[in-house]
Amino acid sequence: MSAATNYVAFILTALTALLLPPLLLATIRKTKARMQNRLGTRLFQPYYDLLKFLAKAETVSSTTSWVFRSTAVANLVTVILIAFLTPWLSYGPHFRDASDLFLIVYLFGLARFMTVLAALDAGSVFGGFGASREVTLALLIEPGVVLALASLACVAHTSSLGSIMSYSLVDNPVLYTQPIMWLLAGSGLFLASVAELSRMPVDDPTTHLELTMVHEAMILENSGRNLALTEYTHVLKMAVLLGLSGQCFLHSVADLWSANDLVRGAASIAIIFALTLVIALMESLIVKLQWRKVPEFISYAVGMSLLCFLIAVGVR
Amino acid sequence: MVPSYLYLVLLVMIPLIVGFGSFFIPNARSCRQFSAIFLWVQLALVAFLLRSLLSGDVTVMNFYLGFSADRISAFFIVLVTFMMACATTHADYFFATEEAQNIGMPGRSHRKFYAATNLFLVAMTYVFICDSLGYLWISVEATTLTSAYLVYYDKTKNSLEATWKYLMICTVAIGFALLGTVFIFASSQNGAIPGGSLYISDLIAHADQLNFPLLKLGFMFCLIGYGTKAGVFPLYSWMPDAYSEAPAPASAMLAGALINVSLFAIWRVKQIIAASAMHSLIEQTVTIMGVITIIAGSLLLIRQQSFKRMWAYSSIENTGLMLVAIGMNFGGLFLLHAINHSFAKVTLFLVSGDIIHASGTKKLGHLQGVLKACPLWGVLLALATFALTGCPPFGSFLSEMTLLLAMADAGRFALVAILVIAIGVSFVAICVHVGRILFGGPKAKFSAYKPVRASVIPAILICCSLAMGTLVNSNFWINLK
Amino acid sequence: MIANLDAYQILAISAAVMAMLMLGTTHLKGGLSFYMVHTILVAAQAVFMGGMRTQLHEYLVPILYAGFKGVGVPIFLTYVMKKIEVDDDAGTYLPPPLCLHIGILMLGVSYLLASHMPGLVAASDAHIGAMAAMSMLFTGMLLMLTRKLAISQLIGFLVMENGIYVFACSHTHGMPMLVEMGILLDVLVGVIAAGLLSNSIKRSFEHIDVTKLTDLKG
Repeated sequence: MSAATNYVAFILTALTALLLPPLLLATIRKTKARMQNRLGTRLFQPYYDLLKFLAKAETVSSTTSWVFRSTAVANLVTVILIAFLTPWLSYGPHFRDASDLFLIVYLFGLARFMTVLAALDAGSVFGGFGASREVTLALLIEPGVVLALASLACVAHTSSLGSIMSYSLVDNPVLYTQPIMWLLAGSGLFLASVAELSRMPVDDPTTHLELTMVHEAMILENSGRNLALTEYTHVLKMAVLLGLSGQCFLHSVADLWSANDLVRGAASIAIIFALTLVIALMESLIVKLQWRKVPEFISYAVGMSLLCFLIAVGVR
Repeated sequence: MVPSYLYLVLLVMIPLIVGFGSFFIPNARSCRQFSAIFLWVQLALVAFLLRSLLSGDVTVMNFYLGFSADRISAFFIVLVTFMMACATTHADYFFATEEAQNIGMPGRSHRKFYAATNLFLVAMTYVFICDSLGYLWISVEATTLTSAYLVYYDKTKNSLEATWKYLMICTVAIGFALLGTVFIFASSQNGAIPGGSLYISDLIAHADQLNFPLLKLGFMFCLIGYGTKAGVFPLYSWMPDAYSEAPAPASAMLAGALINVSLFAIWRVKQIIAASAMHSLIEQTVTIMGVITIIAGSLLLIRQQSFKRMWAYSSIENTGLMLVAIGMNFGGLFLLHAINHSFAKVTLFLVSGDIIHASGTKKLGHLQGVLKACPLWGVLLALATFALTGCPPFGSFLSEMTLLLAMADAGRFALVAILVIAIGVSFVAICVHVGRILFGGPKAKFSAYKPVRASVIPAILICCSLAMGTLVNSNFWINLK
Repeated sequence: MIANLDAYQILAISAAVMAMLMLGTTHLKGGLSFYMVHTILVAAQAVFMGGMRTQLHEYLVPILYAGFKGVGVPIFLTYVMKKIEVDDDAGTYLPPPLCLHIGILMLGVSYLLASHMPGLVAASDAHIGAMAAMSMLFTGMLLMLTRKLAISQLIGFLVMENGIYVFACSHTHGMPMLVEMGILLDVLVGVIAAGLLSNSIKRSFEHIDVTKLTDLKG
């Protein structure tokens, strides 16, 4: 890649990562509102919310320590790193090609670790149980995510996510012919991200009832600048995860492998919005599951990844 | 002359009419007597229609595409109809007693019972005349479904449990038999016959050209499937429950007729294997399965607490014997033992049913002194036990002896030794249990003892068993094809 | 391997996967919806078998199959469920997620069996059909063995019958029509009998858990 294209790709990624995620949140809220026959907030409301939080004063619990503030910042930095390293858009900086599948998975784990630390640091009950539920969910989801990505890596004979997700026939001759594998991996990743992001039917993001909180419980103590950081981190993570599953879905369309960069870029943003709409529809139409039944839902995600893995074994 | 396809209708016309007509008869008592009379008429009709097969003038009678009968199936049809006629006649007395004592189901349900019985007979008759594996499967499944109502008749908690087990286990097993049928069909497609064939006569004719691994696989599945219905070793658990919870005439029908049907299905499928080149290994397997079943039945007979369950385990043992006969390719001996076993078993179930009614308990521990309280029934019970377990001069002795001698002739001495021990164990076990019931002072309260009416059918059957034991030429049966 | 599959092979594998998804839920209505889609896919693969069928009467059995077994049986079972007032499975011996994963692994096992079992290798173009059919058999058996509710066991049996039908279609390109209709009739009557029996079980046992049916012993 020439230096100019590199520079442009880098700027584009940075801009997308900055501007897109709150728009996703707005889409979800607007769709849900429309389904409930309300008008809903304006489309740019999340941006204004973030700016508002940055300007407000903070209320910090006296039981917290330096961990509280530093983990919020560290979380944000980790997720920004993930955003630049993961191929969640079809364009990106050149150092993305060197990223490794396991590095990405562990970076996600690191981000989760930071969140859990912040939750535990405040010493409140909500933080405690929210953290334990989040970690349980992570335990259940991890096989799904790793199996899906690993089967793709198996067939592509490389563990670099950048080259797996590249659209070049030279790099991935076999994967080009396996649309079903891409579809299965994409659906497995999508279902896993629904659980990871604590959306329905795993967790209701708009509730503050003790019975039903997972993610909200962990960030309950934040306010002001911390809240801005945490909220932005969450929506950026959502964009990256949905982008990753969206890329899997896009790869199953054979025509896109040979299209030019502009079409691919537009398609990758379009699929992220499409998946956001699916999440919004799921939130409006499906009830939240009992905590006992959440492992069954996640088993479907892992099931999709297992099927993808079986096909990978068969193809080899 | 009657065109041959009309036989298909004539053979089952009477039970079909009686079966559907029993809903229209207002009085339950007349329904019962009607049914019994017409089943005897059916027996005469069947014997008349198949007389050329029975006497040996013809070896095969073709009715229609997919239906034919040979000598063994003709004998089986007559046997099964005879058993059903006996059981239904005795059922008249049985249900009358129930009504008089005000136990059991009301008179309205007797009509449903008889409807199910007649449809059961229709299905069983069709099993014996099927030449196509597909029709065979359909008929066997039909017998399962119609006999399920017979087991469920009493509608108590225990009979519900027994029916559920029966339905589930047998339907799954028959599903496996369907898989086996599919494999056999596939073996004929990839082999000789263009387009494949389910007709047994075609398959036997082209047996050498069939795809052998597929055929073997298919036979194994059919063996497991139909064998479960007969009570072969691993999957017999439905049998004791079904036999003990069904009313006595129904248990008699199940034991006397249904086992023969399932074993006949195995025999039919095995004829295809026997005609192919490498049949000895498979026949070995069948024989070994029979021996294991006999051992299991004998050992399980030692500790029994309930009257009718004991007879179920004895049925399992006899199934094993018949399976050994099938495995050694002795069709005539299989038929002979089926006849003797059916006679004895039906008698036993009918007499046991009456004794249970009179004493009000099923437990072996609570029954005692039958000989003192109901002398005629006690004598019948003793005679029937001897008939079942293979004492001379009854028929089972002859059939078991001929089978063992034939096996010894074929050189299977080890198996003969095992069988002798197993049969001996079962003889001792059954005789000890029955002896404990017969002798001693009466323990339970006996009532409703009407000796004459109830003893007619069992007496007839015991005489038949005696006749089979004394008047039959064993060479005839060995050479029956 | 995946790219060049015929239409009926894709349908057979989708039917097998649908049946597997049934393993992962104890919610009966969801399971019945999976079962409906699964049976309709099985009937569809029978139509596509050997190219589209040439004569009209060869469409008859798949249409009857989809109609009675695919739509009629779920309607009947929903009626039975309403009468016995159950919504959810009474319990399972194996947790549903584990069941689902085992079912998926069984798909891999059936692929191995279909390629290596001596009898089945002979029909060389029927590997995928045999794999789908075997995985349906395993799924049906898993459902029957691990569920305590009578209706779930019944659905497991029906999935097994579907597997046998796919075996028949893939290995023999269709059995004689009369035989197939007879088989369908028998299975349907069996389902009706079992459904009525479930109703009676609820009335006389106050619970629908078949593991509690242990009065008869010995």
